[in-house]
Amino acid sequence: MTDTAAPTWHVEDDDIVERADSPLARSRRTTELTLLVMAALITGAAYTITALGTNAEIPPGIVVFVAILMGLLLCAHIVVRLVARGADGTLLPLAALLHGIGFVMITRLDDELSGLQATWSLVAIAAFVATLLVVQRASDLARYSWLFFFSGAFLLLLPLVPGLGVSFNGARIWVSLGPINFQPGEFAKVFLAIFFASYLADRRELIAASTWKVGPLRLPEPRYIAPIVMAWGFAVVVMVFQRDLGSSLLFFTLFVVMMWVATERVGYLLLGAVMFAGAAYFSWTQFSHVQIRVNNWINPWADPLDDGYQIIQAIYGLADGGLTGTGLGRGNPGQVPEAQNDFIFAAIGEEWGLIGASAVLMAFVLIVGAGLRIALRTDRTFEKLLAVGLTTIVGIQASIIVGGVIKVVPLTGITLPFVSYGGSSLVSNYVLLALLIRLSDSSARRLRELPDDPTPSERWQAWRLGRRLRRDERKATA
Amino acid sequence: MNRQIRQLALGLMACYVVLFVALNYWQVGRKEELDARFDNTRQIEREFNKQRGPIVTADGVVTAMSSPTPPGSKYEFRRDYPTGDLFADVTGYFTFAFGSTQVERMYGDVLTGSTTEQQVRGLGDLLTGGAGSTGTVELALRNDAQLAAKFLLGGQTGSITVIEPKTGAIRAMYSNPTFDPNTFVNADFEVAQQIITDLQDTPGSPLLAQAYQERYMPGSTFKVITTGIALENGAATLESNFANEREWVPPQTNDPIQNYNGSLCGGDLATVFARSCNIPFAQLAALVGPEAMVAGTEAWGIGEPLPIDLPRPTESTFGNTDDLAQELPLLAIRGFGQSEVQMVPLHMAMVAAAVANGGQMMAPYAVQATFDNESRVLGQTSPRVWKTPISPGTAEIERQLMIGVAERGTASCCIGLNGGVPVAAKTGTAELGDPTNPDLSHAWIMAFAPADDPQYAVSVVLTNVQSTPDVAATGGRLAGPLAKGMLDFLLTGPGARPATPSPAPAPAPTPAPTPRTGG
Repeated sequence: MTDTAAPTWHVEDDDIVERADSPLARSRRTTELTLLVMAALITGAAYTITALGTNAEIPPGIVVFVAILMGLLLCAHIVVRLVARGADGTLLPLAALLHGIGFVMITRLDDELSGLQATWSLVAIAAFVATLLVVQRASDLARYSWLFFFSGAFLLLLPLVPGLGVSFNGARIWVSLGPINFQPGEFAKVFLAIFFASYLADRRELIAASTWKVGPLRLPEPRYIAPIVMAWGFAVVVMVFQRDLGSSLLFFTLFVVMMWVATERVGYLLLGAVMFAGAAYFSWTQFSHVQIRVNNWINPWADPLDDGYQIIQAIYGLADGGLTGTGLGRGNPGQVPEAQNDFIFAAIGEEWGLIGASAVLMAFVLIVGAGLRIALRTDRTFEKLLAVGLTTIVGIQASIIVGGVIKVVPLTGITLPFVSYGGSSLVSNYVLLALLIRLSDSSARRLRELPDDPTPSERWQAWRLGRRLRRDERKATA
Repeated sequence: MNRQIRQLALGLMACYVVLFVALNYWQVGRKEELDARFDNTRQIEREFNKQRGPIVTADGVVTAMSSPTPPGSKYEFRRDYPTGDLFADVTGYFTFAFGSTQVERMYGDVLTGSTTEQQVRGLGDLLTGGAGSTGTVELALRNDAQLAAKFLLGGQTGSITVIEPKTGAIRAMYSNPTFDPNTFVNADFEVAQQIITDLQDTPGSPLLAQAYQERYMPGSTFKVITTGIALENGAATLESNFANEREWVPPQTNDPIQNYNGSLCGGDLATVFARSCNIPFAQLAALVGPEAMVAGTEAWGIGEPLPIDLPRPTESTFGNTDDLAQELPLLAIRGFGQSEVQMVPLHMAMVAAAVANGGQMMAPYAVQATFDNESRVLGQTSPRVWKTPISPGTAEIERQLMIGVAERGTASCCIGLNGGVPVAAKTGTAELGDPTNPDLSHAWIMAFAPADDPQYAVSVVLTNVQSTPDVAATGGRLAGPLAKGMLDFLLTGPGARPATPSPAPAPAPTPAPTPRTGG
């Protein structure tokens, strides 16, 4: 793969076998391991207490459950240790904690989904590992930016294909392939973030230059912003044709934030806000499903048994939970429709109380903090923008759905990253996490916090190169 | 770009601060208001899907029990009342949409196992392999005594209450009209709503436990209280003598007071008490004076809700006492239990019990013990003195006066107990003064026996009874036989039992009751 980089290494046999020791990397991995064990213990304890609360019995498979959980997390940890040992040590444990809390709640709400979610958890960890192994240099991603653009666009539009797309609860965001249903939009957001980071990294000066004058406005050359306008168009398509307000808001925020950070021009933020307000107003006047959402947000009690039922029940659940919650397994979160999905935060607020719900919010704040720290530390524009994009996805997605559940913003149906039930969401967020960890490791290496030892594939190529050199040498001497 | 990234961090942080504030708003700020909203079924639903333990009588009969519903039912458990309407006034009912009453309400936490003690014990049981944490409530009431009370009332509206003078334990408390909780507890919402609405609209308030949630004009039974106050105040002694007269004009009026049926009545205290003359007690009330009379009735617990361990007890009343000094005729009339005086049937049993118990009035209780799922005692009711309205000396005098009523007075017709067990009683016939129906009255009797070693105090009230030209609806004639039946049943009949009864073998969900109070 890296045919230009590999030959520049001065290769010694020792380099290939031994990895230079790095105290900083070691301490980060120790932190990660410790936190992972804690996350696993919290999950195991919550699992036990919840079962006690619902059935008054210690779950029979608790030892197996904790063993598998530990095994999975250990697996992820070992891979990070092998291929990204300089990365931030808090991201994986935070995700594991959220994932664990979510899994406990899903199990409590629906036994059947619990089994499926367990399977998806396996796939998600596998995807995490695979992403870390495949993407060994963050710069590799930039090279395939257009591939990511087209596959992102393809995935986004896939549910609109007749016979393939499936409508569920009014939103056409599902694709059904035989027995597997998935939400391609969950992956599209990661792909489009990669494309944007790469595109903007290359052309940020050109876009920021804004030489094209339209009246009083100074805009970038049309050809430079064309892909961005296209991406915005996708967001509108998603909103209008797939009726998925949450994803559309998420895409839109992602684009605007990345434009703003890349160009350093606050005007994009304002322009984005204006465009969003316009689009929102337009869709509010045009679409009844948007009007229903807005009316439910303003006063759900106007239709308490039908449209407003879900949000009212969520709020009653939260109030019932109060400060300390009803106790794990002792609430009645099943009263909220879709509690395992979009409304899982209400279920957590009910049974874990303000304290538990705040812990979940805190975990997201810490993930956002860690993600943006990665963006600050790295010196490469592409990596900066990618870190910003990925972090924005998690941070905004979580706050949109939590805000919807607790009636801060109109409800838009998207998943709570790592917590909600859903394979696509879980897998895509673990891929996103792996990319953040890869970015974190890359920046640590460039900051010389640890020796930038070659990646396994580079080592493999170096070894082959060395063998060829030695063979040539032997031939020469022979 | 780093500046923008820092600003982005601040922006996202601000989002989460807003979320945190909103979370506080719902979970702390508006918690109580939201919890109390009428369409918020969280709390009740949680209760409803929890298994509840049984309510059992002192003699081991299950009066309320939960059983799991078949899979797919709306709720996980159903609640049944095997004794039908017999204990409805005491157990109350437990419904999803219409709340719960009486023991079901007061002891909900014990029944569902939510008390701290049960939770802590339940935790220990989990580790040792036990399961479930429901509790059992054991009533002080006896199934056999309750059946006897129901049988004796025989459909007449009114109440029979039996308590133990020494402890305050309620052994029977049955009222007509009543209701059968089975008819609506497990019914669908609309059906249950219809039945409950109908019950609410039925005259006589069947949903109320009349014995402690309603009050009625007491008539002459109130003379026990007036006499007690007069004796305590020195306004009367056993030697007091009252003129033999038909009419007496109290101060501040020209309107005379008459005896029952306008008869000629007088003599010493024992005589006027046994014959239940009205004029002597009107005179005593006026003699004691408004302030001391009001203070005296308060000492008997009148004006305070009864200290029973069930929800929403009502209080007896001496009527409006604001300007009593200017209305001495009213005071005089109240002295023999007419006008605005109203007594709770249970309170009347407590008055008899106070006389029987040397002047100490015990707080009545319907629940004598609670048990956890392993039949270990959670709580036991210890008898407690509520009021001490009269001294032991006064109590002794009143005991003699009440024996006189039973032996040669207004109750002598009807209260003589089987086997010659000595009994003390006081009758009452409260004339309701209905202008269209002057013969409508409440027939009362209160009694305790054996008079020399009181075991049970009983009050009987038959409400809205009609006198006919042949038979006057007096307390002695109408209520007397019921009190006799009750006391006979308990002292010499099938209900007689050794002081410490051996616990009856309990049905499956009932834990064998361990140590008990009273007996």
